[in-house]
Amino acid sequence: MAFVEINNLIKRYGSLTIFDGFDLTMSSTDRLVLIGPSGCGKSTLLRCMMGLEDIAGGTISLGGDPYITGAERGKMTLDKTVQKEVGMVFQHYTLFPHLSVLGNLCLAPMRSRGMGKSDAQDKAMELLKRFGLGDRAKFYPSQLSGGQKQRVAIARALMLDPKLMLFDEVTSALDPELVKEVEQTMMELAEAGMPMMIVTHDMHFARNIATQVVFQERGKVIEAAAPNDLFGNPKQDRTRDFLKNVLNIEG
Amino acid sequence: MALDFAFLLDFRWVLLKGLWTTLQFVTLALVIGLVWGFVLSLFRTSSNWVIYSLSTIYVEFFRGTPVLIQLFWIFFCLPLFLDVNLSDFTSVVIALSLYSGAITSESFRAALKSIESSQHDACIALGLPPTVRTLFVILPQAVLRAIPNLLSNVVSLFKESALVSAVGMADLMYVGQNIANNVARPVEILTAVALIYFAIGFPLTRAVSFVEARLLKVVKA
Repeated sequence: MAFVEINNLIKRYGSLTIFDGFDLTMSSTDRLVLIGPSGCGKSTLLRCMMGLEDIAGGTISLGGDPYITGAERGKMTLDKTVQKEVGMVFQHYTLFPHLSVLGNLCLAPMRSRGMGKSDAQDKAMELLKRFGLGDRAKFYPSQLSGGQKQRVAIARALMLDPKLMLFDEVTSALDPELVKEVEQTMMELAEAGMPMMIVTHDMHFARNIATQVVFQERGKVIEAAAPNDLFGNPKQDRTRDFLKNVLNIEG
Repeated sequence: MALDFAFLLDFRWVLLKGLWTTLQFVTLALVIGLVWGFVLSLFRTSSNWVIYSLSTIYVEFFRGTPVLIQLFWIFFCLPLFLDVNLSDFTSVVIALSLYSGAITSESFRAALKSIESSQHDACIALGLPPTVRTLFVILPQAVLRAIPNLLSNVVSLFKESALVSAVGMADLMYVGQNIANNVARPVEILTAVALIYFAIGFPLTRAVSFVEARLLKVVKA
């Protein structure tokens, strides 16, 4: 039984179909990177897994528990206890601008997990120090660089001890010189054994962090393989074309 | 024409008393309007069709009619309907509160709408229950964003309050007109009254710009 299992996922926006029977599995030792042209549904997939999108069909399971089940009519069913085991970091940080860094980290543990204030703050400081942000605890998001904001966002998600982390283009909004610090933080998490699903346009980073790369196009998995195989020796023409295009632009 | 402002000194206490009356009912109307306006803004974002419609009709009606008519109506028509005797002061406070509530609700509603949907996404991703979301994430940001607009409303209401002189309320404007009629020196008196309004209104408008610049820095992360 796979750690993450997506079965026959159906997702539509009005008359636009993003997924029409999408399947994907991932083991708990995997770091799965999703690549593909923009508009192919990579981000939508992560949003579906987080429970942010109402799906019209299929199931999404974590650790064998199907926690999201789509419904053609009416709302999908969502098991909130399993949803809580998934953490997500977004492209545009989505920190709470009216709260300090510490406030951002402590809000959810205190207000939805019943953690005491001093426990939450201790845990937050520990995480911030681990990410080299110990001296930023009292700062407000507007006083931080993009790279710092994103690392705070990662720390905020980790406060809830997720079993799976989703990263949705977390370095896309950053200036090039700030990308590295965020990628390093993610590498550190990877080394600590955190299962992750990552959407990125940075092929170099994808190759470094992934244990499994999935090339996706128009809501379908075209090719899934270990990074060295997929980047070094893609089997499908469309994978090859895509890589040729993005690597040319990047190089 | 020879201008003589010296005689105004004789009327300084009367004018100040008028100003004091103005400040009293404006402040009361602002505080009541703030609370009422916030409640209205929640009604106007309600998914309940009846609550939404009634509050929308209310707000559009008060925004779409002259304040002067609202004042007259509350002054002369409301007592007939309710069969009560309201003091001038109470009537003025009621009228201006109803009006300022309608204006304020629009400021709150715009602020609520300006909060990015990604903030809601972040709340869901962090497993925050809806009440926590509203009270600790959405509401504080909405209030912060509404503050510049709310302050502008304060300035507007302060200036529009001069209209209450038309129903015989002894505010600054009414006192000024009275003196002008008695001493037959409208130029000096009306100039002085304008300057008094300006002395209060100008610092308020400056405060709006100041607060706006500082707040936007915090809120736009």
